Amino acid sequence: MSTVKFLVVDDFSTMRRIVKNLLQELGYNDITEADDGNTALPLLQAGSFDVLITDWNMPGMPGIDLLKAVRADAKLAKLPVLMLTAEAKREQIVEAVQAGASGYVIKPFTAVTLKEKLDKMLAGRAAA
Amino acid sequence: MSSTIQDPERYRARVAALQSALDAGDCAAFHRAFEALSEQMDAGLLPELRRLTATAQSALARFSAEARLDKLAGHEVPDARKRLTHVVKLTDEAAHKTMDLVDSCGPIVDEAARGAALLLESWDSFRDRHAAVANLWPERAATFLERTRADSEVLRGNLTQLLMAQGYQDITGQIIRSVISLVDELEQVLGKLVRIAEGGEVTNVMRSLPDQPSWERGLGPQVAGLESPDAVSGQDDIDALLSAMAAGK
Repeated sequence: MSTVKFLVVDDFSTMRRIVKNLLQELGYNDITEADDGNTALPLLQAGSFDVLITDWNMPGMPGIDLLKAVRADAKLAKLPVLMLTAEAKREQIVEAVQAGASGYVIKPFTAVTLKEKLDKMLAGRAAA
Repeated sequence: MSSTIQDPERYRARVAALQSALDAGDCAAFHRAFEALSEQMDAGLLPELRRLTATAQSALARFSAEARLDKLAGHEVPDARKRLTHVVKLTDEAAHKTMDLVDSCGPIVDEAARGAALLLESWDSFRDRHAAVANLWPERAATFLERTRADSEVLRGNLTQLLMAQGYQDITGQIIRSVISLVDELEQVLGKLVRIAEGGEVTNVMRSLPDQPSWERGLGPQVAGLESPDAVSGQDDIDALLSAMAAGK
């Protein structure tokens, strides 16, 4: 369980820290951070990440573009991607799911919600 | 008013009429002549006076508008941006400070819980083996340890909630950042208006402004009273939407 490798992408360092602490509480200790899609994508392509958790609204490359870039990359096409964002329009959620998001958590969120969605995504990953 | 007298012949006639009425002691004629002279003077003066007033007024209006625009574009709007940026910085620092404290409290709580559990464990085995001596340890101590163990769990939960609550910094930061970009646009528009007011080239003020925020780039959090009609109400709403989409596939 503790060998799952996370990449957490958010332009706010407070939010990255919150997610990182929560993941550590859940027993995940291998966590890398990035502050937008442009810095995240090379990390994803170079490293062997198991889960990507990304914000949407970021300067530089927004999360939806990062998601599309991940799905367009044969090596990353199956990577579980959780959108963790304050973006709340239905068309955005539909767009994210159609672009291949594995889960969508709206901010502000609870520790329970994050755990629930991660468990679901990782169970799906184990079964795949 | 140092210009030459306009139409001096007419003045000469009016003055002559005035003089003869005065010489004749004709009060009514004197008044008529005086009125006529006065009217002629007014007629010459008024347009000039009007022109001067209008020029002064427009110069004043132009000056105060330019001064106000200059102040807005040069100081107040950039200051507004600095103030907002400062708020984001302050909340960021406060949130990190809070999380530093949460981080430092975590191990203390864990240690208290672990210590209480260990003591309770040895207390249980000791009591079983030396019932007589065990009675020397007051029951209150055992109750305290039980309580410490239970309270530690509550404290742990509260620390997690405290951590989650710092998410406000991200939400408020996103909202403030969208106001900052609005202020940026305002600054650009004002800058162009100032150049136009200074007699510069009249260009399309709105051209070359950044694009309107799009949902592809992200619109930021919903704000009470300004909610998009197309926004979900929360996580349950999203989960329902996702389920419906999965079922529709």
